[in-house]
Amino acid sequence: MTDPVPAVEIAGITKRFGDVTAVDDIDLEIGDGEFFALLGPSGCGKTTTLRMIAGLDFPTMGSLKIFGDEVGTLPPNKRPVNTVFQAYALFPHMDVADNVAFGLKMQKVERAERDRRVAEAVGLVQLGGMEGRRPNQLSGGQQQRVALARALVNRPKVLLLDEPLGALDLKLRQEMQLELKALQREVGITFVFVTHDQEEALTMSDRIAVMHEGRLLQVGTPEDIYQRPANRFVADFIGRTNLLEATVASPEEVVLSNGMRVEAASDHAFGTKVAVSLRPEQAFLHRRGGSPAGWPSIDGVLREVTYVGNALVHSVAVDWITIEVRTPYRSTETPPQVGDEVSVSWEPGGVTVVGD
Amino acid sequence: MTAIAGRLLPNGNPVRLGDLARRFSLTRGALTANAWFVYLFFYAPIALLVVFSFSADRNVGRWGGFTLSWYDDFIGNTSIQNAIWVSVRVALLSTVISVVLGTLAAFAIERFRFRGRQAFDALLYLPIIIPDVTMAVMMLLFFSEFFDLVNLLFGTDLRKGFASITVSHIAFNISFVSVVVRARLAGMDKRLEEAAMDLYASRWKAFRHVTLPQIAPGVAGGALLALTLSLDDVVVTQFASGPGATTLPVYVFGLIRRGVTPLINSVSVVMLVASIGLVLLSLFVQRSRGGAAVGPPGAVAAGRSRRSS
Repeated sequence: MTDPVPAVEIAGITKRFGDVTAVDDIDLEIGDGEFFALLGPSGCGKTTTLRMIAGLDFPTMGSLKIFGDEVGTLPPNKRPVNTVFQAYALFPHMDVADNVAFGLKMQKVERAERDRRVAEAVGLVQLGGMEGRRPNQLSGGQQQRVALARALVNRPKVLLLDEPLGALDLKLRQEMQLELKALQREVGITFVFVTHDQEEALTMSDRIAVMHEGRLLQVGTPEDIYQRPANRFVADFIGRTNLLEATVASPEEVVLSNGMRVEAASDHAFGTKVAVSLRPEQAFLHRRGGSPAGWPSIDGVLREVTYVGNALVHSVAVDWITIEVRTPYRSTETPPQVGDEVSVSWEPGGVTVVGD
Repeated sequence: MTAIAGRLLPNGNPVRLGDLARRFSLTRGALTANAWFVYLFFYAPIALLVVFSFSADRNVGRWGGFTLSWYDDFIGNTSIQNAIWVSVRVALLSTVISVVLGTLAAFAIERFRFRGRQAFDALLYLPIIIPDVTMAVMMLLFFSEFFDLVNLLFGTDLRKGFASITVSHIAFNISFVSVVVRARLAGMDKRLEEAAMDLYASRWKAFRHVTLPQIAPGVAGGALLALTLSLDDVVVTQFASGPGATTLPVYVFGLIRRGVTPLINSVSVVMLVASIGLVLLSLFVQRSRGGAAVGPPGAVAAGRSRRSS
């Protein structure tokens, strides 16, 4: 048995536009059948990476393989991938059926086969009966389905999606997240999607690659990325967190900037400046002095309480920073009031050390 | 005082009914008069032209009783008919060629980055900016030198005529076509072409099946403009034409110098009727297609400016 061939294999890819390095020497393997997210803020190079896989941009250097075949300089029409574009890019002068049939026509698939596959794809995205409509007669969600059908009808080996849900409103976006996931299981091919929305990436993906300023910071499962962020940027970008400045004292301990010793494992050298990431939902709030015995605890003053439906978000001012604590909302309890003296604590070892 | 209780103008003064009525009727009256003046300026000359084409007197502007003899003259005058025929052929040929070249030039400038692009861009608009006379003199010099050279080298006998008129019309029409097409192209989402290529279209097929249908209104507009400019042109044509061939505007211009007779009126009326016929025909064609062949340009523009990284 040999190792399965990765769907997409990126090795040492760099992309420069003039003086600007959009993608800086990244290596990435995306497995067959994976739902893979490229996540990062605007301008991080995620869309450029996707466009290079699609063939819409060519790498300045490096190797790009799709199922083992080098495709780095092939034009988009010679690659076994299809793209769902941001804002869909549906052809406005064609109806739904012609939009979906376009790829098959270009590949000269014969009429009967084409009609059959178009009907199948339209059914797959639940747009039966809409075949004769123009894109401007469809809602945003329907346009998105047409874009999916138009790509999937070609049976690509890899489907690329550029901010596929970006143009939809929140409710529809959450529905489509689940639908996309179900669709991917149904067709069983690799989905690579680009998003700046960390929640979307965490919800939908098997694995996530976090990018920043053209570089790949971390690749891992949503749990990996959330629980064990590779560095300060990832910890801060994924979810919400409190970053407490610290210095490494031993492999098991760091010293916070107020001199407090905190149990936290790291492989950084003694004396390295690091940060301790404390997730708001992993922090606990007590009245001053009420922290469980043996738990690390910092005293502070409650500055603000925000009700967010299923939880309360507390801002606690300690000596040098404001810490966010998230607790489940229970109507029977009287929560601490603004101005109260409180303590923030966490389970020993419940924080993560992140370097720069 | 006829102030209405409680009603005040924005400046705090009370509304007076009399003032209001007077101001209203004055504005209305002025606007109506303006409209009539505009129509008068537009159509009075045309009406006069038509009326005097039926006048029996040789002097335009003096009514000498009704006659159709000027139309008889027109029908019997082969040189006018030749001029019309040349005009039509020049217009059609130069329009077709300049639409193809102008559209391709617009596409090149709008979609590709290449060395010398900015210079090409600026040069392309030159024929629009420089005066007609300059363009005409340029053409005259160019064709004289060029034909002399070719005749000298190959012993041929090339002269200015149909070909040189057509080439000079193409030269200025390309600019106008590419300006119009470019405006349309700039408003089109580039991702549509990328989507077509992602869906296995070659560059040519993407242009043929996606770009061209999207810019069709621009191309059609450019073609109409080119056709009109070519049919209208006097100055450039005068310099580029030779004894062998001349267009209708240049011929009419020549007639006027020899003294104006109502023959010119009859020629103009025939042209007028023909162009009204063309406009009606194009309206009819558009109506029967229901405008469905051309999608609304804004349909895909919504997300254009939102490309991330």
